[in-house]
Amino acid sequence: MTHSGRSNPSSPIRSRLTRRQLVQRAAVGAGALAVGTLRVPRAAQAANEINFWASGTLDIGDDGWKIFANESDVKVDFTDNGNDPGPVVARLAAGNASDIYDVGGLDGGSERELAKRGLIAPWDLTQIPNYASVWEWAKNIPYSTFEGRVYGIPSVINADSMIALRNRVGLVDSYGVIFDRTLRGKTAMEDAWINSVIFTAIYLKNSENAKISEPGDLTADELGLVMEFLIKHKKDGQFRTFWNGWEQGLQLVANQEVWVMTGWEPIVYAARRRGLDCYYAVPKEGYEAWCNNSILLKGAVDRKRSKTAHQLANAFLSGFYGCKLGALRGYAVPTDNNVAYATAHARAFDPAAVKELSEHVKAKFAGKVYWQNTRPANFQLYEEWWQRLRNA
Amino acid sequence: MTLHPIVGDRTNGGRPLFSIITALCLMIMYAPALYLLLASLNPDEQLGLVAPTRYSLNWYVALLDDHRLFRALEESTVVALATAAVATPIGLAAALAYRAMTRMRSIFLLVILSTMLVPGTIEGLGLSVILRLVGLSPSWVTVALGHLLWTLPFAIVVSLIGLSAVRPSTVAAARDLGAGPTRAFVDVTLPLIRGNLVSSFVFAFLLSLNEYARAYYLVGRQNTLPLYMFGAMNSGASPTIYAFSGAVLLVSFAAVALIFVIAARRQSGPPGVSLGAYPTHV
Amino acid sequence: MPDKVAGRRRRAAFFLALPSLVVFISIGFVPLALVAIWSFWSFDPETYWIKPVWSLASYTALLKNGRAAVLLQTAGLAALTATVSTLLAVPAATVIGLLSGPRRATLLVALFTIPFFTSGLVRAFAWRLVLGREGVINNVLISLGVVHTPVEWLLFSDFAVVLGMVAAHLPLAIVPIVLAFARIEGSVIRASQDLGAGFWTMFSSIVLPLIMPGVVAGFLFVFVVAIGTSMEIQLLGGAGASSIAIMINDVMRVVNFPLAFAIATVVAILLIVVIIVADRALELSRLFEDRGA
Repeated sequence: MTHSGRSNPSSPIRSRLTRRQLVQRAAVGAGALAVGTLRVPRAAQAANEINFWASGTLDIGDDGWKIFANESDVKVDFTDNGNDPGPVVARLAAGNASDIYDVGGLDGGSERELAKRGLIAPWDLTQIPNYASVWEWAKNIPYSTFEGRVYGIPSVINADSMIALRNRVGLVDSYGVIFDRTLRGKTAMEDAWINSVIFTAIYLKNSENAKISEPGDLTADELGLVMEFLIKHKKDGQFRTFWNGWEQGLQLVANQEVWVMTGWEPIVYAARRRGLDCYYAVPKEGYEAWCNNSILLKGAVDRKRSKTAHQLANAFLSGFYGCKLGALRGYAVPTDNNVAYATAHARAFDPAAVKELSEHVKAKFAGKVYWQNTRPANFQLYEEWWQRLRNA
Repeated sequence: MTLHPIVGDRTNGGRPLFSIITALCLMIMYAPALYLLLASLNPDEQLGLVAPTRYSLNWYVALLDDHRLFRALEESTVVALATAAVATPIGLAAALAYRAMTRMRSIFLLVILSTMLVPGTIEGLGLSVILRLVGLSPSWVTVALGHLLWTLPFAIVVSLIGLSAVRPSTVAAARDLGAGPTRAFVDVTLPLIRGNLVSSFVFAFLLSLNEYARAYYLVGRQNTLPLYMFGAMNSGASPTIYAFSGAVLLVSFAAVALIFVIAARRQSGPPGVSLGAYPTHV
Repeated sequence: MPDKVAGRRRRAAFFLALPSLVVFISIGFVPLALVAIWSFWSFDPETYWIKPVWSLASYTALLKNGRAAVLLQTAGLAALTATVSTLLAVPAATVIGLLSGPRRATLLVALFTIPFFTSGLVRAFAWRLVLGREGVINNVLISLGVVHTPVEWLLFSDFAVVLGMVAAHLPLAIVPIVLAFARIEGSVIRASQDLGAGFWTMFSSIVLPLIMPGVVAGFLFVFVVAIGTSMEIQLLGGAGASSIAIMINDVMRVVNFPLAFAIATVVAILLIVVIIVADRALELSRLFEDRGA
């Protein structure tokens, strides 16, 4: 094969260059392996280190965890678990999550099945003295306990409704605005039946007098009713899109791609910081309540980290974590220790703001709330209907 | 292989159209990337374009402090380098084997292609179960194994294309001159497919760098870059991730420019020295 | 060929193939076999895991709720993406491999590869800001007076999904074709020109057949990556847009693992059948042979 301007392919210079390149490549590969080997995690970790595998919403950043370690003596190695209960549970159930992580943090609801299979261990409340300070109704969430033992310590708790742009839709107080024909193509909901079905059910029950007893646990007929409603609106082009995750939701609102959507409260705070005139609606039909739990993975017990894990759980509730999370995102950890901490450390956190956040969340829960439920009785039917919605 | 000097004259028929399409391709590919670059110069938290008078590098400065991102980048780079380093030679060997086969060829091709067709999530989950059974703890090694499976078929096909460009008469000539099969391969074939091997390496590297479905189930305590990005997008990202994309672009452009400058200087040097162009100069 | 040489060749082929076979069998087929077996087990409502009770329930469930439609739609979208990418890639690769000097060729290939070093997720997300109601394109169109209200279908539509997917996968199509240009001899082109062939004749009768392995490889690469991805569909598609990967995630969220495994098994088998058929029809295995002395 001839090449313009190239020397004879079998000349010695060519061969040496070629071999040198091969050797270089091999060296690069070997070097990478060597470097990597140095970084293989040591089997034995420091006794007070905990690997926390949780939703990004539970993260307080490297600086936050440093202060946390100073105060509580627990060094947290945070890994984001992607916030999707599906792969998280799959990795716990079948995969290797328990081998490398100690404590998990995710949307509550899966505790029962994980506990039944022994994939998570019950928390020993005697080792978590701060548990007593948790708000009463947060302790009584049905899915956090199983067979009388506590498997989920509530880390973040909130009641969701809608984010609305004041200059576009004015002041709204009903979920009906999401389904309003005049706002066709200007609304959105979350791409998950866990939230969107319950919001729709809450609306239909309270404002359209549909025969729904428990919006969080629909019977097959009730589910059909709610889903047909959603499918009809989807086909009519009511929704601009469904969103998935913080940045997507925030971008929809901040770019005025949608004018009102069901979603998470921190999106409002973040949007306001960016200069947007939006607010969190107070719907007359009520809020959707949810909670992120911390769970103790079996691997931690096997690796004799249970004691440190309990220290971690206790530290979550001791005040700093709640203040920091509230300041970063506007989420509340359900304990009054936050206010106490802020008062004692008024230079780091504004006690008035912390108190306001706590009172705000408590006020929401004092009103009408319906609990989100990852595992309603017919949960697999929910997914089948959602698939039909996707195809519509 | 550049045929430019030959095709010079009577090519007016297709050149304008093809050039337009090439420009279109570049525009499509760079629209989001350039947007990110420009938007990352916006000092506000809100992602968007601003007037050039307000451009600021503060997100790039913040990026330097983003240790989490750099740890994820490091993990991804190690995995990608290891994957590419192993996939390239194995891919070449498999391509050589394929060409030496006769009847088994179809079956071998099927074996190669079939593992590409399994959804990544399930493959990752299944592999994590198996690796757990053999006692391999999740780390960058397990991710690299998963990515090796993912990138190997690509490396094999790329090597096959490269090998099919080698004229059999060239190799035959070497054999006639007394070279054994190994010597003929190392001294004749290998130099001819050198650019192709570099392509294979880069291909495997980039595929691994961008893969997250399999990585999710195989990763150790340190997330890879795509997993980090996914987590950041899900739970609130600082604009540093956009500055990161911008930085990658700028660094890459600078690297390419540097290579060109060096090559231009070297062109006055000894002939036969490669310009380092990886795909066309075989 | 004398038996001794043929035997040596077979042995050489075996040893050369061995590493890849080890990889494919141990890392590829063993997990898949496990997944396939598990797909025939049943969901256990007691433990929310699987129990070794053989049943075809997961496969029959595939025929309901429009799941089969999702498989076909995703495959169709992947094929469309691969087709569009290949149609764009052939001219681009020709410019690189035939119509450019070495420096411009290198530059172009580098340009096409560089975006791949940035995060695909962030790039797909950026399309929302380019195509949205207040995005770059709409702003330009409105300021030029071409339209008075934002064009809605630019985003959250099939158009946006295909555009995003092509933009993300174009290099996968371009690079193999560029590599295939190595198969073309300068002398053949010269000869055709001496015989009076114009550009299109030369292109269709000489270039295209010789770069065909690259074209097929490019199509295959884009198709395989596109059928498994969910980013562009989820970020740029309309409300609740679905794909195979999204459906598997949905199903795993309700711990219906046998169904998730069944979906994966069916996808793999269907695509293998497609490849077998394509191999017979297009003689794929002959595609990568030498182009002659």
